[in-house]
Amino acid sequence: MSQEILIKSAKIIDQNSKFHNKKMDVLLKDGIIKKIDKNIKATSKQIVYDQKNLHLSPGWFDMKVNFRDPGFEHKEDLKSGNNAAATGGFTGVACMPSTCPPVHTKSQVEYIKNKSASMIVNVYPVGTISYNHEGKEISEMFDMHNSGAIAFSDDKKPIKDSGLMIRALQYVQGFGGLIMSHPNDTSISHNGMMNESNTSTMLGLVGIPEIAEEIMVERDLALTAYTNGKLHFSTISTAKSVALIRAAKKKGLKITAEISANNLVLDDTSVESFDSNFKLEPPLRNKKDIKALIKGVKDGTIDTICSDHCPEDVEEKDRDFQDATPGIIGLETCFSLILSALGEDVSIDEIVKIMSTNPREILGLPLPTINVNERVELTLFDPKLKWTYNKVYSKSKNTPFLEQELMGRAIAIFNGDQVADCN
Amino acid sequence: MSSLSGDHLLGIKQITEADINLIFDTATSFKKVINRPIKKVPSLRDTTIANLFFENSTRTKLSFELAEKRLSADIINFSSSSSSVSKGETLVDTVKNILAMKVDMVVMRHPNPGAAVFLAKNIKAKIINAGDGAHEHPTQALLDAYTIRENCGDIAGKKVLILGDILHSRVAISNILCLKKLGAEVMVCGPATLIPRYIESMGVKVELDLLTALNWCDVVNTLRIQLERQSIKYFPSIREYVMQYGVNKEILDGLDKEITLLHPGPINRGVEITGDVADSKQAVILDQVENGVAIRMAVLYLLAQEI
Repeated sequence: MSQEILIKSAKIIDQNSKFHNKKMDVLLKDGIIKKIDKNIKATSKQIVYDQKNLHLSPGWFDMKVNFRDPGFEHKEDLKSGNNAAATGGFTGVACMPSTCPPVHTKSQVEYIKNKSASMIVNVYPVGTISYNHEGKEISEMFDMHNSGAIAFSDDKKPIKDSGLMIRALQYVQGFGGLIMSHPNDTSISHNGMMNESNTSTMLGLVGIPEIAEEIMVERDLALTAYTNGKLHFSTISTAKSVALIRAAKKKGLKITAEISANNLVLDDTSVESFDSNFKLEPPLRNKKDIKALIKGVKDGTIDTICSDHCPEDVEEKDRDFQDATPGIIGLETCFSLILSALGEDVSIDEIVKIMSTNPREILGLPLPTINVNERVELTLFDPKLKWTYNKVYSKSKNTPFLEQELMGRAIAIFNGDQVADCN
Repeated sequence: MSSLSGDHLLGIKQITEADINLIFDTATSFKKVINRPIKKVPSLRDTTIANLFFENSTRTKLSFELAEKRLSADIINFSSSSSSVSKGETLVDTVKNILAMKVDMVVMRHPNPGAAVFLAKNIKAKIINAGDGAHEHPTQALLDAYTIRENCGDIAGKKVLILGDILHSRVAISNILCLKKLGAEVMVCGPATLIPRYIESMGVKVELDLLTALNWCDVVNTLRIQLERQSIKYFPSIREYVMQYGVNKEILDGLDKEITLLHPGPINRGVEITGDVADSKQAVILDQVENGVAIRMAVLYLLAQEI
């Protein structure tokens, strides 16, 4: 028997709940929402959350994280990654296959599922599209799917071979699998270090032209149409990619798209400091692209925003820009970044939809809802809470946001009968 | 005593026009010194300088070393190819080891853009960037501008053409910044594959036709074709490059004015320029070499004022 949890006077943010936008008390017990009422009396045996400006939504979901387990557990393992996700307010994450060995057979899928089974944040492994992450032959996606692989991606290794992409898009149709594309034509972005721009010219860093991404978005749209398949674009970053996807959605193509929170809040002028925490993939783009990404989120072209959590140890990051490995951690700051970029343009209802409903719909997962007798999978948060990012739960500390004051934070997550406070 | 506005010389971007003029004035004094029978002054006695070259260099290294010796500094040299360093010890560790031997200044060349900025953030010593990837090579730009001023007078209003591989060239970036700070007009010329797409944001003109570019300029700085930086082919063959962008006597004689010609060296004779052009009086290549020592003495001397 677990302890009862009482949440006092929280604004419910859930468009599928009859209490949507109402301030209610919510009682949780044994992993079930027991009661929702205007006023539930607290008892001494309960854990009570009672503070101002509480909001309660279905648990948030991050479609793109890296937990580095197995293989690079010194950067992150399933436990520390789980802690970071919980601190960021997430109750579910899709975990990329860039491990060692990569998640390319059911053994790795089952390892991740089993090892994370009792943890508070649900971890959904993504299997590779190609065997051994090599971009040559398709992997055993059916077997991985049956073992619990939620989708398929070669992570940041784009599928260069168009024929392989066709076969992947076709093959998964037999069992309803989802292919994710990381669009980047590496014959164009070759050795690129940052967005090709005035800044890259001045810094002498090899530029990654926007067209390297866009040309592969165009290709993958064509291949999706040709195969009548279903495709999810991971972490797009340019204005034209947004426009291409918008037009393709209008035509009825079965595509979805996601961006990284990093690309919403930072632009490529940050690189002027040569700080390796601004070396990202996709690279930070310019202000015009940021504007287009925001517009894409507002009009529904962009379905979801991920943290693109990439833990790297100090040996990989504390180097000069060129030698440093790209990527930053993001689970713990993701919500604050999204709010700071979208807060004035997008309602909190929409942000919750982007962070909770849409990713689950893309992945075909059941949607948690805030109604009596529903299973508990909830995030309690305060969008106005000011906090300083000075305690990092991830094993790696590669983030430019350390010691910065941020606004908006998860207070606690509830998943089944487990609860975690987010500080 | 006047000194530079910053603690290091990481790039031309970080220094002011006043800094540049101070360096030039100081270099002029040192140029007199190195033309005397006794070429040495005691200015940097008890100052220890480490020359760290993580990338091949002959003339820049020699030039710095000579400048340091003329100023009576104690020097240590370290050379290593980038690959052996990146496999083992990190850049910071290598340099910290050397600094533990009580070094005051570091002159560093490194293949990666930003390496000097990174070093300045991580260690306590004066840093002079002797070239970091395709980012900056400030002393080269200073000696080029100094040589132009010496041969052609005031830089303001001069039309300077930078010719060749702009994409892989730290010399181009530093030269553009330096010449613009001093009021020159700058044009770049070369095959379109070797011109950075956003170069015009630095306030320069772009011209793909050599003859048009040469007709426009007062001074041309012909950059070396950096084959070692080109991991993929940007033009089909040296032969075809020469056909389009090689500067020869015939082309220069066909112009209706005599332009001054610079080259940062080492020259690929018959590629960027023909031998007879390199040896002609229009070319001030050996002046550049001499001025290089004076400019580097000036930079070392001015930065050492605050040790």
